[in-house]
Parts: sequence; structure tokens; C-alpha cells
Amino acid sequence: MELFWLFGTFLITLALGVPVAICLGLASLAYIVASGMPLVIIPQRMFAGIDVFVLLCIPGFILAGNLMNGGGITERIIRFANALVGWMRGGLGMTNVAGSMLFGGISGTAVADAASLGSVLIPGMKKSGYPADFSAAITAASSTVGPMIPPSVPMIIVGALSGISVGQMFLAGAIPGILMGVGMMVVCYIISVRRNFPRQEWKGARELVASFFSAFWAIAMTALIVGGLMSGVATPTETAIVAAIYAFVVGAFVYRELPIARVPKIVIDSAVSSAGILALVGFANVFGSILSAERIPQMIVSAVLSITDNKFLVILLINLLLLFVGMFMETIAALIILFVPLLTLAQAVGIDPLHFATFAVLNLMLGLTTPPVGVCLFVCANIARLPLLPVVKAIMPFLLSNIIVLLLVSYIPAISTWLPTTLMAR
Amino acid sequence: MTAVTRIADILDMLCRIAIGAVFAVLIAAVAIQVYARTFTSSSPIWTEELARFMLLYMAAIGAGLCLRSGDLVNVDIIQDAMSERIAWWMRLISTILTAGLAALMIAPAWRFTSIGAMQTSPSLRWSMDMIHASVLVLAITLLVFSLLRAIGMLAGTDDGRAQFAEEE
Repeated sequence: MELFWLFGTFLITLALGVPVAICLGLASLAYIVASGMPLVIIPQRMFAGIDVFVLLCIPGFILAGNLMNGGGITERIIRFANALVGWMRGGLGMTNVAGSMLFGGISGTAVADAASLGSVLIPGMKKSGYPADFSAAITAASSTVGPMIPPSVPMIIVGALSGISVGQMFLAGAIPGILMGVGMMVVCYIISVRRNFPRQEWKGARELVASFFSAFWAIAMTALIVGGLMSGVATPTETAIVAAIYAFVVGAFVYRELPIARVPKIVIDSAVSSAGILALVGFANVFGSILSAERIPQMIVSAVLSITDNKFLVILLINLLLLFVGMFMETIAALIILFVPLLTLAQAVGIDPLHFATFAVLNLMLGLTTPPVGVCLFVCANIARLPLLPVVKAIMPFLLSNIIVLLLVSYIPAISTWLPTTLMAR
Repeated sequence: MTAVTRIADILDMLCRIAIGAVFAVLIAAVAIQVYARTFTSSSPIWTEELARFMLLYMAAIGAGLCLRSGDLVNVDIIQDAMSERIAWWMRLISTILTAGLAALMIAPAWRFTSIGAMQTSPSLRWSMDMIHASVLVLAITLLVFSLLRAIGMLAGTDDGRAQFAEEE
């Protein structure tokens, strides 16, 4: 009966449009009142949920991304991506995907990626004769690469939940992220040939080199982050703060495009965005502790194992569940609620935690581009000034390509585990 | 501009200044840690603790701001499908529920804060009630900003939607 209050309250408040973090709080409150437990559990569990060392790197990476973005980096990355792949058929579409991959190494969230690149590339593509729906769709689809390529906010959350090292999580996402990018470029090329989209002229090796050096200090941040974590010299938190200081120095003194007067606003906005994630983590920890007290993870495990203990089928079931949940729920909230129960299930059938974590995050990323609640889809449709439906139709081929990558990552563990095990001691 | 909007704007500004200061201390603490470990032989042990405490206060002060800015994400698909009148009521009920949760959290958060008075933090030797109070601050900022929104909605000065930050 108490569980009915927990899930009932959660679903009803979610449908009403209450913020997800508050829904989790209200549901936990209803459960605690119904079962006659003391309310002090709420502040206690919230405190414990936020007071986690690994979470300290979230504000740092968000600030680093925002400072880079404020420092004129978007245009430089687009220029380099354009020189690299813009000469192919569907050039600006290719540039869009390559830009997302490079930008993913700077920002930790897909929405930041979609908004920054989209605001430049979607109008640019429309002006060059690309259909608006295609332009919005490819921007939304490619933005999901961002959180797979380090740094990544969802990967940090997974680290905080499971104790897997954040450095290993970051590296595990790299190859799947590159595969997603390459897959989407292939799709873009095929569509472009069939619909005869334009290409740009090859601008020559000189422009390629010049644009590379123009974007060098931004791209080097990815190397700084990965290098810092891999060498073990710095903790993820230290790496995040060093990346933020680096981004400030590059934006303000190297590129000289980041006005110092704007820095306080960027710092405060980054803190507020981080607070939103942290509040969610706090309330979700109350909810999560109720789930584990009620032994929900174990119930899920025994329910699934009573149907099948076939690893192949369990992976399929987990993916179907996450795809479904990802369609309706915000990535981080879904991760916090489902990750631990599903990890218990995955380990019960012998799936490596790092492998599981990678395909779970990738899976939930796809939810950012699926209706009805795909945030990146909304952002891009909005920039392109289109209703949602045409963008949903146009994104289907890219979604299919991403699902193929998801299946590859799900069934070939080495795609995610090879890089971290080779480069870092486990 | 009505009094409610003016109060909300002033509180918004104060919270933004406070959260900026908290983030600055967090950055400074971690930067000192990196500097000391890299360039000197000693490594201070208090920096990590200070940074963690600042993170708690970042969440606490930011909770109300997030509600206002839309950083506290919600699923508004059903609201969008309704008529504006029903959607307005849904937003009002959401706001009141948020205020209700925050209000009900205040007494337990106060209790949790007083429990902290019996402990001190391991390296800074701070009384933990100061740190436990972050959850109390979170409940208060959430309560204040949701109440202001609810009053604004009833007075007709607030439509109950998040005020998304202007795109730069």
C-alpha cells in the first residue's frame, strides 16, 4: 500500500507538470507519511545524496563549457569542422556532426551542444538551401554525441551512483561516441546524395591547418581533461576546476573574445544550472533509498530472472525499458532512479558494470531526441522555427543509426571496456 | 511592476550574488588544493571538505533560483495539450505542491540541523549544524520562490511559467 502512494504520487505530480525533483520529493513524502516513518529522513537522505565528492566536478565542467562557449569557441569549432568535412556532399550536415563531436569534448551536456551549435548552424544550413526540418533533425541527433565524449555530466552521475571511476566512465564513452558520429555522417551522406544537397568547395590544406590552429586551444581542453584523469595526477574535481580556469584564460587572454565583465554572469548561471542537477540528485536519493529499503532492485532481478537468465535477452529487456523511460523522463532523473536497480540485474547475469553503464547512458541519450519529451528535439525545432512533427520525421534515419550503435555497444562489451582497461588500471 | 515581482527580483538578485560567492569559494578551494599538491610538498586536507560544503550550499541557494529559471526541469507535455485555462490551473497546483513540500520539510530540516550541533567536521573542525543547515536553506528558498510565484499567479502578474534566461 505504501508503494502505491510512492508511485501513484510520483506519476500524478509528474503528469501535472511539477518539476521532476519535486515529484520525487512529494512521492517520498507520501510514502514516509503513509508508513509512519519520521520526516527527518528527507533532509538526511538529501544531504547524503549531495554530499558526494564526485559530484563536485559537475559545476566545474559546466562552467568550463559555458566559459568556452562565451569565448567565441563555437565559430572556431564550426570553421575547423567545415574545413575538415564540409567539402563532402551534404557538407554543412557533415560539419554539424563533426562539430558536435568536437564540442562534446568541451561541454558535458547534449542540450548545451544543441543550443550552441544549433543557433549558428541551423540558420546557416537553411540559408545554404538545406530544408529546415533536416537541419534541425541533424543538429538534435548529433548533439547526443556530446555526453558520450568526455567530459559528461551523466557519466559523472553514474560514477557517483555506482562507485565506478569517473575517468573510466569518460573513456568508456569515447569509442561509442565516435561510432555514433561516424554513423550519423554516413546517414547524412546517403540522404544528401539522394536529395542532392549542396557541398562546399575544398578550401585547401592551408585553411584546414589555419582553422585547426584557430580552434586548437579549445580542442586541447579535451586532451587536458582526458590526460588529467588518465594520468591520475588530478582527481575529476580538480580536472574540472583546472578546465574551467583554462577555459577562462583561453577565452579572455588567448582568443580575447570573452569580455571579463560577462564572467560573473557566466559563473552564476553555471552555478544555478548545477544547483538544478544537485537538487534533483538530492531528492532522488530520498526516493532511491526508499526503493532499496523496499528491496525493489531485488524484486526486479527475481522477476526478470524468473522469465529468463539469458544475458542476450536481459540486455534487450534493459534496453527496451530504458528506451521507453527515456522517452518520457529527463536523463539524469531516469539514471538516478533506475541505474542501481538495473545494475543489480545486469551484474546478476554477469554484465560488466562499466559496460552496462555505457550502454545505459547511451540509451538514455536517445531519449533526448525522441518525442514526446525530447529536450534536444524541442531546442532545435525552436531554433528552426518549426513545429515538432516534421523534425520528428526527419530525425528517424539518424535515430535508427544511433539505435544500431546502441545495439553494437550493448552486445560487444569491448567497444566500451577496451579503452579504459587499456589506458587505465582498473 | 507590482510589489510581489519586485520582492521576487530583489531576492533573485541576492541569491544570485550568494551563489556566485559560494561557487567562487569552491573554485578557490580546489585551485589551492591543485596548486599546493603540484608546486609545494604539502597538501592541505581542509580544501576538499570546504569544497563539499560549498557544493551543498550551492544546491541550497540555487534551488529557488532554479524553480524560477526553469533549471528545475519538468515534463509539461500534458500542460501543453490542455487549454490555457486548464494549463494555468495545473501550473498553480504544481506551484502550491512545491510550496507544500518545502513547507513540510522545514521542521524536519530544522531537526536535522540541530542533530548536527553534536558533531564537528573532521578537518575544518566546524560545527556540523552550520553544514546541515544547507538543507534548511534549500527548503526555505524553494518555499519563498514558490510562494511568490503562487501569489504572482493569483495577482495576475506571473503566468507561472519558468523565466528562461535570455539567450546570449
